[in-house]
Amino acid sequence: MSRTVTIEPVTRIEGHARITLQLGDQGEVQDARFHLTQFRGFEKFCEGRPYREMPALTARTCGICPVSHVLASNKACDYLLSVTIPPTAEKLRRIINLAQITQSHALSFFHLSSPDLLLGWDSDPATRNIFGVMRQDPALARDGIRLRQIGQTIIETLGGKKIHPTWVVPGGVSEALTPEKREAMLKMLPEGLEIAKRTYAFFKTLVPKFKDEATNFGTQDTMFLSLVSPEGNLEHYDGFLRIKDAQGHIVEDMVPTWEYERLVGEAVEDFSYMKFPYYKPIGYPQGIYRVGPLARLNNANSCGTPYADVALAEFHMLQESGPIASSFHYHYARLVEIIYALEMMERLLKDPDILDTRVRARARSNRDEGIGVSEAPRGTLMHHYKIDDDGLVTWVNLIIATGHNNLAMNAAIRQVADAYVDGNNLQEGMLNRVEAVIRCYDPCLSCASHAFGEMPLLIELKDAKGRVVDRLSRG
Amino acid sequence: MTNPKTLIIGYGSPIRGDDAIGPLAADALDAGPLPAGVTVISRHILTAELTEDIAAADRVIFLDATVEGEPGEVRVRRLEPDATALSSMAHFLDPRELLAWVQTLYQREPAAYLISAAGQSFDYANYALSPTAATALDPMIARVRALIAEPLPT
Repeated sequence: MSRTVTIEPVTRIEGHARITLQLGDQGEVQDARFHLTQFRGFEKFCEGRPYREMPALTARTCGICPVSHVLASNKACDYLLSVTIPPTAEKLRRIINLAQITQSHALSFFHLSSPDLLLGWDSDPATRNIFGVMRQDPALARDGIRLRQIGQTIIETLGGKKIHPTWVVPGGVSEALTPEKREAMLKMLPEGLEIAKRTYAFFKTLVPKFKDEATNFGTQDTMFLSLVSPEGNLEHYDGFLRIKDAQGHIVEDMVPTWEYERLVGEAVEDFSYMKFPYYKPIGYPQGIYRVGPLARLNNANSCGTPYADVALAEFHMLQESGPIASSFHYHYARLVEIIYALEMMERLLKDPDILDTRVRARARSNRDEGIGVSEAPRGTLMHHYKIDDDGLVTWVNLIIATGHNNLAMNAAIRQVADAYVDGNNLQEGMLNRVEAVIRCYDPCLSCASHAFGEMPLLIELKDAKGRVVDRLSRG
Repeated sequence: MTNPKTLIIGYGSPIRGDDAIGPLAADALDAGPLPAGVTVISRHILTAELTEDIAAADRVIFLDATVEGEPGEVRVRRLEPDATALSSMAHFLDPRELLAWVQTLYQREPAAYLISAAGQSFDYANYALSPTAATALDPMIARVRALIAEPLPT
């Protein structure tokens, strides 16, 4: 008798989602699907709005990574203006992006994933939460809070507010940096770097304990897509698109971001509101690729900062050769990127030009189409707008970082389900692992609402006629 | 004798109608004269990094909108740390949960209060209250002033 297992909602992620596992007669997994169950419609309701409103409108897509949308959107607007923004404005935008990556990665590691990593996949779900982490390792929990606070404070210092800052504008930024603000930010960074380094050192000691998960958590062959700098190094703000295959061969390199449509196609499936981006030259669904910290580190020749480069070298030692395949190592990559972000912010803030008051290029719209691409914490973020002669938006396409990983997430839950789920003997720990592989990607399924922690979990077994034959619930 | 350290946190979404009353009250308090030792913070949501600020305070006063009660009604209640008051959301916290974080991580338990105002409309707006909720703004501020004039509870 075939049955369906439904995990709904998936917990400790950003947004609402459901996982279904289709089981065969012997309780074996026949299919696994990740469903995005909420609908937003930003691409449609932005039509008709003045393009200068787009950064503020699209920032509302997310309460965790609004800075990422603000940056990609303003880059699309820069393109519409046909301006090159002042060098200092670019550096300031880079800093706020790195602060965003710091705080977002800290949330993912310390708050959302550490209960699994510290307390164990099979631990009591009643205590497998942030309070369990606090009791087990309060110093780690305090570090997580402080690291996130540093990232958020830098965003607030530059942007004027922590959530939805309006300081980044088409053509640059609205206000130059003052010496006082620079000093305040510089003062925090050494402490942040110390926290990041000791957390990284601690996590390295944990990694060997998770050999099983590293072997089974999304190790499928995929390509990797990310921005890289003109030198091929780690890049989060600008640069060019690079794609590596699973063996490490570069299949696309130094592709200008405005040519993204040549590389990326978007498929639609009837079981999810999230599209399925794929590498166009190979086609759907074979053109599966991953984005985000794992992809960025796999694609980068180097980070370009001292401690992060040491960590990058150690990252590559997680596997004998080739790009790091296991999605479990997204956690590792996130910690490397936090180190990088803190080092790079310090470097940028010490740049002699950082206090230059020329921070904004002014122009009217000079193109009818604009494309902005940047690296959000979770991966490559693409904003593409078309406008009419009055500057009103006529068409929008947003490819969100999490969307790029959709095919990979579906493949990963199938792999984890195959490895751990016994349909004849369902255990909460099995299903937690299925959720946990999704948490590796830190998906941001939009921020209309965010499910996490002790949300109710309902798993139902249904027979081929849809009748519930077994039920497991928590919460 | 030095004044107790009091932290006032007004929170709510500025673009969801009466939900903005917490930040608006906080901003109004911040603009006016305040006794020494009083700090005011305005936020969309309560987040984990507020724990350090709360841990450094002797008294914390949360200002929030609520759907409970008659629109315009202002209520004051003491809050205790409650680790079971887990928010169902990933990036914001219940004030009692936040107090439990402070208690667990910093072994601090400041006297805590929630002053809430019942809203009428939570539709899209920009720092704009419904006329009914707007009548709650001054009483809310008066309650804060009365509280911070009192000695700390023993």
